[in-house]
Amino acid sequence: MITIDKVSKHYGSFQVLTDCTTQVKKGEVVVVCGPSGSGKSTLIKCVNGLEPFQAGAITVDGISVGDPKTNLSKLRSRVGMVFQHFELFPHMSITDNLSIAQVKVLGRSKDEARDKGLKLLDRVGLKAHADKFPGQLSGGQQQRVAIARALAMDPICMLFDEPTSALDPEMINEVLDVMVELAQEGMTMMCVTHEMGFARKVANRVIFMDQGRIVEDDAKDAFFGAPRSERARQFLAKILQH
Amino acid sequence: MNYEFDWSSIPGSLPFLWEGMKISLEITAIAVVVGIVWGTLLAMMRLSPVKPLSWFAAGYVNLFRAIPLVMVLLWFFLIVPQVLRGAFNLDPNTDVRLTSAMIGFALFESAYYSEIIRAGIQSVPKGQVAAASALGMSYAQAMRLVVLPQAFRNMVPLLLTQAIVLFQDTSLVYVSALADFFGAAYKVGDRDGRLVELLLFAGAVYFVLCFSLSQVVRRLQKRMATV
Repeated sequence: MITIDKVSKHYGSFQVLTDCTTQVKKGEVVVVCGPSGSGKSTLIKCVNGLEPFQAGAITVDGISVGDPKTNLSKLRSRVGMVFQHFELFPHMSITDNLSIAQVKVLGRSKDEARDKGLKLLDRVGLKAHADKFPGQLSGGQQQRVAIARALAMDPICMLFDEPTSALDPEMINEVLDVMVELAQEGMTMMCVTHEMGFARKVANRVIFMDQGRIVEDDAKDAFFGAPRSERARQFLAKILQH
Repeated sequence: MNYEFDWSSIPGSLPFLWEGMKISLEITAIAVVVGIVWGTLLAMMRLSPVKPLSWFAAGYVNLFRAIPLVMVLLWFFLIVPQVLRGAFNLDPNTDVRLTSAMIGFALFESAYYSEIIRAGIQSVPKGQVAAASALGMSYAQAMRLVVLPQAFRNMVPLLLTQAIVLFQDTSLVYVSALADFFGAAYKVGDRDGRLVELLLFAGAVYFVLCFSLSQVVRRLQKRMATV
């Protein structure tokens, strides 16, 4: 579904990504972790072309992201993305947030988009909030709406960029529950997250990044059982201390 | 030296003054509407990654902001009528002073509006564009549906304040001998030898209008801050 082949990126002389190679198969859940500044968010943003990269190639469903001839908007409309800071549109009601791209990008009718939006809102347990505005919801609720908004486009895969790091601790689980459910239904997912409980539960593979390189790319059990690199061991030791 | 105020020439000339006020309001309205539309386009050009567009917009804004309004108006008064007459084959006696004043104002104010709007666009978090793009929206759709509505909401007080400044600036059209409110007051004062009274009166009217409008803007600002 997603292949990343020798991708490198730099801002001026600062190297952000170096020779990153991995892939995500259909139905696979891959968790990307690593210390801050390791390039994991940049990597996931390269997958749908939100960040350009200078070398290497990324394909999603066989379509090359870096190719200037690719219709990026069209490709992005098929790839769901969830952001750290939710990025709901604050000037629109929840219903409009869910339907605007369905109508304007996919050309669905307003009624169809609304029905679809409400169905997904119900799924993330927020049907009662349909007519509210994003500012009236808690962070966890907003992130669930953001997931529903991405799902409304019927994506072929989902990208999560630290979906729980801006949330208060008591709200993290309500978002993770939605993500676990999604993973169990067979959605192809690439998640940048530090939630190792989530990784243990549903990930097929774990990628560990450090200083712009993919240091480990392993099956979940192998990664948690015995990380091969010293950096990953230290990272896990720190993050699992408590 | 004792100056005797005589306000008696004002009541009779109110209809004439009102005609002048209508011209002032007309110029303000046109300049605000054109200024916001053209200013938005300029702001988007300036922020665009296409270099020539961004250079053009930057040049335009810097040029107009570095020239006194009075001179712009005078140029338009001297040049635009010829151009308009040539372009539309108008009768040499057609009065195009109002049109040229409006064009001059609109082009001048666009430069100021574009700076306000540029700041407004930049006040919308970058993540909003990323989110719109990630949903498959084109750059134009992201701007129109997501960024500009939020930007304008943040900008309403500034845009209104600029409109108040603009309304005061319309008094400068006297250089083209147009009878706007200020011009009308001047004419009446000149005719009746009561310039001091008429100019005091005109000043009072400008003050009352502009002061009450800015109070409205302040209230609006407070209400928006609490939402």
